[in-house]
Amino acid sequence: MREGTKKTLFVFTILVFAFFYIPILVLMVFSFNDSKIGTVWTGFTFDWYIRLFSNSQIIDAAFNSLFIAIVTTVISTVLGTLAALTLHRYGFPGKRTVGFVFYIPVVIPDIVLAVALLVLYSFLNVKLGLATVIPGHVVFATSFVILVLLARLAGLDKALEEAAKDLGANEWHTFWKVTFPLIYPGILAGALLAFTISLDEFVVAFFTTGPGSNTLPVLVYSMVRRGVSPEINALSTILILAVVLVIVIVGWRMNRMNKQQGGI
Amino acid sequence: MAEGMVRLENISKKFANTYAVKELNLDIKTGEFLTLLGPSGCGKTSTLRVIAGFEKPTSGNIWIDGKKVDKIEPYNREVNTVFQSYSLFPHMTVADNVAFGLKMKKVSKQDIKNKVKEALNLVQLENFAARKPKNLSGGQQQRIAIARAIVNNPKVLLLDEPLGALDLKLRKQMQLELKQLQQELGMTFIYVTHDQEEALTMSDRIVIMNQGKIEQTGLPDEIYEKPATKFVADFIGETNLFEGKVMQTNDTYATMECAGQYIIIPNNQNFLENESVYMSIRPEKIKVSAHANDKVKQLKVIMKDEIYIGSVTKIIAAFPDGQEVVAHGSRDIFKRCSQGSQLYLSWEPADSIVFKMKEKLEV
Ligand SMILES: Nc1ncnc2c1ncn2[C@@H]1O[C@H](COP(=O)(O)OP(=O)(O)O)[C@@H](O)[C@H]1O
Ligand SMILES: [Mg+2]
Repeated sequence: MREGTKKTLFVFTILVFAFFYIPILVLMVFSFNDSKIGTVWTGFTFDWYIRLFSNSQIIDAAFNSLFIAIVTTVISTVLGTLAALTLHRYGFPGKRTVGFVFYIPVVIPDIVLAVALLVLYSFLNVKLGLATVIPGHVVFATSFVILVLLARLAGLDKALEEAAKDLGANEWHTFWKVTFPLIYPGILAGALLAFTISLDEFVVAFFTTGPGSNTLPVLVYSMVRRGVSPEINALSTILILAVVLVIVIVGWRMNRMNKQQGGI
Repeated sequence: MAEGMVRLENISKKFANTYAVKELNLDIKTGEFLTLLGPSGCGKTSTLRVIAGFEKPTSGNIWIDGKKVDKIEPYNREVNTVFQSYSLFPHMTVADNVAFGLKMKKVSKQDIKNKVKEALNLVQLENFAARKPKNLSGGQQQRIAIARAIVNNPKVLLLDEPLGALDLKLRKQMQLELKQLQQELGMTFIYVTHDQEEALTMSDRIVIMNQGKIEQTGLPDEIYEKPATKFVADFIGETNLFEGKVMQTNDTYATMECAGQYIIIPNNQNFLENESVYMSIRPEKIKVSAHANDKVKQLKVIMKDEIYIGSVTKIIAAFPDGQEVVAHGSRDIFKRCSQGSQLYLSWEPADSIVFKMKEKLEV
């Protein structure tokens, strides 16, 4: 590569990274700013973190979000895994169509699903509350789980399952002794994706949650409308650090698992 | 129905609209080393998969050790397979791979330990028990695949081109080891290969397959010496095939016309005049001479090339119409010959094998 090209590419890469991360860095720095107005640095403080943890509204919303995310993750990981296995393994009439239907939630605008769910709930006379957020999140998250898992399954050597059966393992043992351990990293990645999708989902949550049961993104939205408070910076900082931590741990574990398996 | 170890009766396997296996009938004896030999795509793997239970035959019946197994799932059949790509479980150690079948059969822990050790000893990999398969060489993985199968003491062991991925030297060594192992264990082996040399050296009996059908079943020397069809003659070893018409016949011999020359063939199939036939003659059965000899029937050819292949020299010659013929001879006879020289070929009519042309329609 020519020296000039190399330099240009390098600068370009730096710029892209800056574009990605400078806003986040600024936010994190200002979460320690000792000033109510978020734009001028006046000194270091932990005040916003202390106030954050004494704000029961925020704490409630965080627990709501966590609850929805966990329930969504469990349901969509199980459903998605079963659906992906079925799609991967069995041929049946209309398989391609069914497979395509699972992708629709990935590409459909959130607002369409949100409104559709709202219409459905009012038609069925369902009272909106925290639980009414879950179905919408499950729809999104399941699609992503299927997507991730189908990719993993495509790399799974079918002959391994046959080898297990050849050695006397029935369907049940074949799945738990061979298939599951081999696709487990995919299931884990799918679950992680489902969790984060649910945690930061705004549109569906905004439309389908009941009064008084805010999720974190919905609460942040309503707070920001009254101006960005440094409390929100503090909250965001904590969220970012938590997510980074989870990704690092999972990434490290998956890396180790792949190494043990010879990286199928 | 219990005759021998495996019995295939009229087995057909159809994929979409082509038959991978067609109306196959085969009896495999207990303790036999039987090889399915044929070109790639002839249906060898499909036949094994039908026996193992991974494919349901489109029609036909299968017996294993006297039991009809058509409705028995693969995991309940008393056969084990050594897969073409080994298919070792990547997430388990070598020992766990070998123990897998025994665990499924709920063999006691102590027995499993002993049997795994024994099996690893048998393939000389006892020191590799704690390794993961990916940390083994191809040849070692191959041995583990064999150990993993035989540790279950199956009634029949199915092997699908198990040595295909190994280099020549290792392959030769493994051929011997496998054959020895089979004899020691007295186990029935059904072995698949497209390598005729491998089949000829290892097998008790060979089944030649072509396009889903059996062309011939026989002992290795039968297959080589007395090919039953033109396909077998062409597929096994090197041969010269001539196409021509029967001219005259008497009780013992017939004359065949080929490219303007006359060849004497044994009349053992009631040839009719004008009938189209193929004749096959192996290169080592052909006598090559630089001189005409009135006492024997000779064919005149033009020398094209000679190839030194160690013990003999391979002569490539051509008929006037361009058809090539290969013969073996010792080197000094041809010292005086060079490209373009006239050569004279002769052979015992009894060494040639003639096939009626009608089988061209079948093939
Ligand atoms: N699952 C399958 N679906 C469709 N065609 C198949 C399948 N398996 C094998 N075939 C076809 O059946 C024929 C025989 O294949 P195979 O038994 O694998 O041959 P071999 O092992 O002798 O090379 C081939 O033409 C192959 O393309
Ligand atoms: Mg094959």
